[in-house]
Amino acid sequence: KITYFQSILSYNGGCVVAMKGKNCVAIASDLRFGVQLQTIATDFERVFEVGPNLYIGLPGLVTDTQTVAQKLQYRTKMYEMREGRQVRPQTLMAMVQNLLYERRFGPYFVEPVIAGIDPSTNEPFICAFDLIGCASTPGDFCVAGTCEENLFGMCETLWREDLEPEDLFEVISQSLVNAFDRDASSGWGAVVHIIEPHQVTTRRLKCRQD
Amino acid sequence: MTKDEDIDEVHTGFQFDNLARNNMLVSRGIQMPTAVKTGTTIVGVVYKEGVVLGADTRATSGDLIADKNCDKIHYMQPNIYCCGAGTAADLEMTTQLMSSQLELHRLNTGRQVLVRTANRMLSQMLFRYQGHVGAALVLGGVDKYGPALYSIHPHGSSDYGPYQVMGSGSLAAMSVFETRWKPDLELEEAKLMVRDAIAAGIFNDLFSGSNVDMCVITRDGATHVRPYEVANIKGKRLGKYNYKRGSTAVLSSNVKKIEIVSETVKKTPSSTDESMDTA
Amino acid sequence: MSSEPYSFSLTTFSPSGKLVQIEYALAAVAAGAPAVAIKAKDGAVLATEKKHKSILIEEHSIVKIENITNHIGMVYAGMGPDYRLLVRQARKIAQQYERNYLEPIPTTQLVQRIAAVMQEYTQSGGVRPFGVSLLICGWDNDRPYVFQCDPSGAYFSWKATAMGKNYINGKTFLEKRYNEDLEVDDAVHTAILTLKESFEGQMSSDNIEIGVCNKAGFRRLSPAEVTDYLANIA
Repeated sequence: KITYFQSILSYNGGCVVAMKGKNCVAIASDLRFGVQLQTIATDFERVFEVGPNLYIGLPGLVTDTQTVAQKLQYRTKMYEMREGRQVRPQTLMAMVQNLLYERRFGPYFVEPVIAGIDPSTNEPFICAFDLIGCASTPGDFCVAGTCEENLFGMCETLWREDLEPEDLFEVISQSLVNAFDRDASSGWGAVVHIIEPHQVTTRRLKCRQD
Repeated sequence: MTKDEDIDEVHTGFQFDNLARNNMLVSRGIQMPTAVKTGTTIVGVVYKEGVVLGADTRATSGDLIADKNCDKIHYMQPNIYCCGAGTAADLEMTTQLMSSQLELHRLNTGRQVLVRTANRMLSQMLFRYQGHVGAALVLGGVDKYGPALYSIHPHGSSDYGPYQVMGSGSLAAMSVFETRWKPDLELEEAKLMVRDAIAAGIFNDLFSGSNVDMCVITRDGATHVRPYEVANIKGKRLGKYNYKRGSTAVLSSNVKKIEIVSETVKKTPSSTDESMDTA
Repeated sequence: MSSEPYSFSLTTFSPSGKLVQIEYALAAVAAGAPAVAIKAKDGAVLATEKKHKSILIEEHSIVKIENITNHIGMVYAGMGPDYRLLVRQARKIAQQYERNYLEPIPTTQLVQRIAAVMQEYTQSGGVRPFGVSLLICGWDNDRPYVFQCDPSGAYFSWKATAMGKNYINGKTFLEKRYNEDLEVDDAVHTAILTLKESFEGQMSSDNIEIGVCNKAGFRRLSPAEVTDYLANIA
């Protein structure tokens, strides 16, 4: 037996959270890359830029995080060249859905989370998937990763409607940090992207290193 | 010759390239993660002029509620809708695929699709996958033969009748229909019965919850009401848990301006003309 | 297939650099029944002549204007059976797109993909080019689109165009009559008048077909609606 963790989704650790605000969205993740109990790196990015204001977080098994990120990059770039337009968040959702569901009987071990703003309407958009591509599009927040349950609790408590970008930053950061501080396999730093129609603010947070 | 599919990496049918690796992991003692399921209460009932479909809105992953307000009543055709219970991704993709195939059928035959056609196509597809596509469905609609209601099981068998239930809350829901159903229901009676059946699931089945969704289909079309009733209202937060701005310690901050705020790229007729004039 | 002798493409370059099979295909198109497309301010119009070889034929058993999706319609000049194959392909392409991206296919994308199919038939072994040119109109992006697709796989965007028998006269007529402020109703009139340029005999809802595309989508007009338009013209 090679595992300490039962689920392969917990093998490398890591978590992602996305939240809606007023005319803005945010997506945040921790920075740990571990192999079971051993920490390998504390600067591991699992949130990827897909378009100017479209991001996707891919918590799960790190080898699949990277494969899925690369496959999505390929598909989205092909789409942009063929159609001469930006990928909309809903379009990315459909692409991820198809990519994951194609492997319905041999899945990638990732649970993606999308956060973005529709370039034509400026509507905020978030959505989350299970590992075979079932999307849910809640009106408040999406969470995924090893401390998913902690994150649910934090977000249910701290999130409120119509958060301004600066308040959204505090809410998502505090939700994430306090959730993964109670999880052994996530943490060691965090990165937060606050996405607005005209700009994206990326902040790295000061965190516990244990 | 290189096919479009290869270039786009968009495949038809399932891919099994991860299967060997995943089986290796399982053989070394790892459990396969669970997919999101819709434990679910879904029902349908035929009334005088049509069909009423109903569903709860809870999606679960293990005993965690993955989605508090998911949509389980899926569009098939303007005159046909379908409620789903089982593996959430299977339901979403199966109904999307079928809706698309029924639309092709409609265009190629030039007629409104029959509910029995939808039933046949769905059960044949599920039978082909021998239960591995985990979809349990309640299919309802109105066509030239009048209202029709089917339930379809994951292995491809199907039932036809005046009321149908599916999902983990089906026992609770069935009790409502078994005690109260009668022929030639009025619309309001049928709606109330569906509401009560779903509520029975919501309050008695752990894997059903949140709201009641409803879809009424008549000869004149369908109305999908979401939510029909909020069965569980979230309490108001009494305390204030607001973090003041600046509470979070930041190591670095970087602002990336986006120059193009909103972008609509339209192909002008002239540009396509010039580049493609090869004839 | 390709290992069998003489199964290579029928469309092989002639020494002068021409692909004569494609030119023959265009000749089949030019001999076909006329079809017209006009882009209006608030929509687009397709119209075609539908003359029958015998009075014994059931007039409305055959239709030439087809919906590809709710918002895209298509008509042809040339060989009917070839057209019907392309219609089925186009519908399939449109549905595939919608499943991939959860969004109705933009007209430009559909045209590009149909053109790719037609091009493939000019270069593959064991097949011949399609004996049709297509007129495709659609509504997306809050504006109408009109495209023509030729057997070679070449495609063009038009404000208004005609093809099939007498297409040169049709085009000349459209050049004179077209203006940018045309509304759909006027465009239907203009389309009928364009067909009339080369029409022999009495026009009726039995021997012409009209399709209209606007914000609400594309649809083929019923014989009664066509009769109304014809009454307004006479």
